[in-house]
Amino acid sequence: MEPKIKEYDVIVIGGGITGAGTARDCSMRGLKTLLVERLDFSYGATGRNHGLLHSGARYAVTDKESATECIQENMILRKIARHCVEETDGFFITLPEDDLAYQRTFVDACHAAGIRADIIDPEEAKRLEPSVNPTLTGAVRIPDASIDPFRLTMANIYDAQLHGAETLTYHEVTDIIINQNRVEGVRCLDHITGQTKEFRAKVTINAAGIWGALIAQKAGVTVNMFPARGALLIFGHRVNHMVINRCRKPANADILVPDDTVCVIGTTSDRVPMDTVDDMRVTPEEVEVLLREGEKLAPALASTRILRAYAGVRPLVAADNDPSGRSISRGIVCLDHETRDGLAGFITITGGKMMTYRLMAEDATNMACGKLGVDKKSETASTPLPGSEPDAPKPAKKTVAFKAAEGRHGTLTTAFSLTTDIVDDALVCECEHVSVGEVNFAINNLNVHNLVNLRRRTRVGMGTCQGELCAARAAGVMCRQHEDAANVKTDLAAFINERWKGAQPVAWGDNMAEAQLTATIYEGLCGLNQYARKEEVQ
Amino acid sequence: MKFDTVIMGGGLSGLTCGIALAKAGQRVALVSAGQSSLHFASGSFDLMGYDAQGAPVSNPPEAIKALPEQHPYKKVGDIAALAEQAQQLLLEAGIGTTGTATANHNRLTPLGAFKPTWLTTEGYVTIDGDKLPWTKVALMNIIGYLDFPTKFIADGLRNAGADVEIKPITLPELNEARKSPTEMRATNIAKVLGNQEVVTRLAAEINAKAGDAQVVLLPAVLGIKDDKLAQLLKQQITKPLHFVATIPPSVPGTRMQALLRKRFEALGGMFLNGDKVVAGTIAGDKLHNVTTEKLEGTKLVADNFVMATGSFMSRGLVSDYKKVYEPILGVDVDYIAERPQWTQNDVFDAQPYMEFGVRTDNQLRVAKDGTTLANVYAVGQILSGNNKLKLCNGEGLDMLTALAVANTIKK
Repeated sequence: MEPKIKEYDVIVIGGGITGAGTARDCSMRGLKTLLVERLDFSYGATGRNHGLLHSGARYAVTDKESATECIQENMILRKIARHCVEETDGFFITLPEDDLAYQRTFVDACHAAGIRADIIDPEEAKRLEPSVNPTLTGAVRIPDASIDPFRLTMANIYDAQLHGAETLTYHEVTDIIINQNRVEGVRCLDHITGQTKEFRAKVTINAAGIWGALIAQKAGVTVNMFPARGALLIFGHRVNHMVINRCRKPANADILVPDDTVCVIGTTSDRVPMDTVDDMRVTPEEVEVLLREGEKLAPALASTRILRAYAGVRPLVAADNDPSGRSISRGIVCLDHETRDGLAGFITITGGKMMTYRLMAEDATNMACGKLGVDKKSETASTPLPGSEPDAPKPAKKTVAFKAAEGRHGTLTTAFSLTTDIVDDALVCECEHVSVGEVNFAINNLNVHNLVNLRRRTRVGMGTCQGELCAARAAGVMCRQHEDAANVKTDLAAFINERWKGAQPVAWGDNMAEAQLTATIYEGLCGLNQYARKEEVQ
Repeated sequence: MKFDTVIMGGGLSGLTCGIALAKAGQRVALVSAGQSSLHFASGSFDLMGYDAQGAPVSNPPEAIKALPEQHPYKKVGDIAALAEQAQQLLLEAGIGTTGTATANHNRLTPLGAFKPTWLTTEGYVTIDGDKLPWTKVALMNIIGYLDFPTKFIADGLRNAGADVEIKPITLPELNEARKSPTEMRATNIAKVLGNQEVVTRLAAEINAKAGDAQVVLLPAVLGIKDDKLAQLLKQQITKPLHFVATIPPSVPGTRMQALLRKRFEALGGMFLNGDKVVAGTIAGDKLHNVTTEKLEGTKLVADNFVMATGSFMSRGLVSDYKKVYEPILGVDVDYIAERPQWTQNDVFDAQPYMEFGVRTDNQLRVAKDGTTLANVYAVGQILSGNNKLKLCNGEGLDMLTALAVANTIKK
C-alpha cells in the first residue's frame, strides 16, 4: 500500500468514452480529477460498436428524446472532434420485404426531432451508393457519419491530462470507501504491480458502463441494469462509403457503417445474464444472423472477406419504478445517490450511447459541481479536442505515415512527426502505415502497457493482415522502451491470441489461410508458444 | 505435351519430388504458382521436434515409431534412409547443411527461442542441447531494420548463459534505402548488400564493432541467389560469424527456392512459373491430363501426377462457410463436418484444422469419391493427419513424403 493517500475532488470510475469525457469536463472546470480503469481505455462497449455517429434517425419513431439528443451531439462532435469523424451521410433503405408506408412515418418523426431527412429516388440512391441492394424500393438520406471511438476516447483522455487529470489504467476498483453514508473514495488493485491502493475524493462518479451495476453493488446501492449483448462483423475493405440502415423498426444487423479502410455490420441484440458480460467471444449463430441480414443491405458483403467478429454489452437501464425491465430507455440516466439512496458523494452516469457521451459527461459533471459548490459552466461543446484544433504547425513534407497518422491523431501528429531521426519513419505496420515515431509517441504519451493497448491507440494490427508481421515489429519497438524482453514476448503471445479471438468465429476461406500462416510464422518459425501464458488478462 | 510425371506445386515438396524424378531420368513438368512457404523458412529443416505430448525429441526416427498408423510418416518407409537421401539432394542443389536425422540439434528463432531441428543451413547458428558454444556474443543488427528483434534474441541467448552485446551497424547504402519506409525488409536489404564491394565495407564495419566478442551473429540478410557473398563476408571477418533467422520474408528460404529450381531445371525438368493447374481429366481410376491457367488449350498429359500444392495457407486446401475441399481435382479430404469444431479457443492449442488434408492410401495415392486414383499422389502439407506446428516437422514431411513418392513412381 502506498504510504500517502491521495486526495481528489472527483474520482471517475471507468475508462470508456463516458468516463473519459467526464474526466475531461471535470478537469476543464478546474476540479482535481482522477480516472481509474479496470483494464484499458475503450475496452468495453466503447470499443465494441459500429463506430456510427448516429443522426438520431434510428430512434426518431420510437424515442424522440434520444433522437433529439443524437442530432444535437452529432452536430457538436463534427466540430469538436473533427479528426475522429468522417462525414459520410447515410441512407435508410426500404427493401421489398419491408413496408414502404413506414417511410412516411419515419421521415415525419425525423423532422419532428430536427433531423434532416430527404426522400430520394431509389435510382439516385444506387448512383450515390453503388453497393446498396439494387432491389430497394425506397431511400431516405440522413446525416449519419462514422466516428472512431478509440481516437475519440484518447482525445478526451489526453485533454483531461493536459488539464491536470490523472488517469490510471489496469486499476480495478475493489471497494468503495464509505463513511457515515458518504462515499469518500475507492480502493484499487493495480493489475500491473499487484499493489492495493487507496484514493480519496469528495465525489465519486460511477461511469463504468455495464460494470457500473457491480460498482453500485460495492457501494451498497442498486442500479437496475439489463446487459444487452450485440455482436458485429468487420469486413476487410470498405464496401460502402455511406452508412446504410434499414427503414423499419430497429432489428438485428440492420446497420452497415464504413469505418476507415473497413466496414462494419451489426448488431445482434440479446439480453444476457450479468455474469456473462466479460465473455466477448462471438457465437456461430450470431455470425449466421449477421451475414444473412447484412447481405440484404449490400449484397457484395457475401463475397467480401470478414476480418473478425466482436461483441459488446450495452448498459441498458430500467426505470426505478420498473424492476422487470419492460420499459427500457436508451436515454441518459444520471443518478444522484444522495437524494435517491441516502448515499452522499456518489453519482452514477449510465444509459445513453457512445455518441451522447459528451452530454452524459456534462450532466454528471454538473451534478458533481453542484455537490462541490463549483459554479462553472461546461465548455466541452465548444472547445475542440486535441487533434481537432483549427490551426497547428505542419511539416514541409508529408510522408505516407504522416498522412495516415494525421487521420488517427489529427493535429497531434505534429508532436511526433517533426523529428529529424529517419529511423522514426520506418513502418511498423504496412497495412495501416504506422511508423516507429507514432508507436513511440503512443508508448510515451497514451498509457500503453501492452500491444493490445497499442493497437487501440494506433491501429497496429487492425489492418487486413491482422497483425501477421507488424505485431512482431511493434513488440520489438516496445521492447526498446520497456526493458524486460521476456514480458514483451509473453505480451506478443497474448496479442496474437487476442487477434485469434476475433478471427476464430469467422475462420473459413481466406481467414483460415491467414490464421494458418500467422500460426506458421509465430509458432512454427518463431516458437512464440513457448512464452504464452494461459488466461491472459487484456 | 506429354511427360512422365507432372507435379503441381513448386514449394519444397514439389521441387524435391521433381529433382528426384528428373535425376532418375524422368521427363518432368512442374507447375508453380510462384511464392511458396519457403518464403517463411527458418534456414533449418525440422524432421520431428516434439512428440505427440509436446516433449522435445532427440532421435526423430525412433520417435516417429510412436506416431499413429495413419500419420503420413508411417507411409514412407525407412525414415533415416530417406533423411539421408534428402540431405544429399540438398547438397547437390548447392545447399550445404549440418545435422543428422538420428540426433536433433537446436535452431535459434527470430524471437530468441530454441527449437529442435534436423538440418541447418551451413553458416547459421546451431546449438547442441541448451549449451551455447560461446560465452561472449556480439549480436549485430542494421539500424532501422525492424524484422530482427535483437532484444528478444539477446534474452534467449542470455538465458542460455551468454554474455551478449547488441551492436547497431550501418552503411551509406543502407542509410539511403532507409529513406523509403518499406525498404527495410530482409530481401530488399539482401539486394542492397548484393555485391562484393559493399560486402567488403560491411565486413570492415562489423570488424570495427565486434569488440572482444568470441562470435558475431548477424541477421540472415545476405545472399539471395547463393551463398558466395556470405562466404566472402566470413573470410573478411576476424571472428567466427553466424547468421540468425529473421522475421519473413526469408532470405535463406528465397535462396533455397532459387537453388532447388535451378537444380531441377539443370536436370532437364520443365518449370512452369507463375501458373497453376486448374482442372484435370479423369478416366476410370486414372488422371489422364491437366490444364493450367496460362497454357490455354494445351493439356499436360502424364503417366503420373503429384499434388504438392500445400495446405490452406498455400491454397492447396480451401474452406468456405460449410466445407473444406481440394480445389483442383476435388479429391477426397479428411476434415470435421461441423465448422465450430475446426478450431480451438486458444490459438496455441492444437488446432484441428491443421490436420485437415487430402486422404491417401498407404502409397500416398489420393482418392476421388471413395475410389483411389492409381496415378495421382499427394506430398507435403496437403496430406491429412499431420500437425506440422505441434510435431515441428514441416520440412521433413515435405521432403520425405516427396522422396517416398518419387521412389514409388520410379519403380
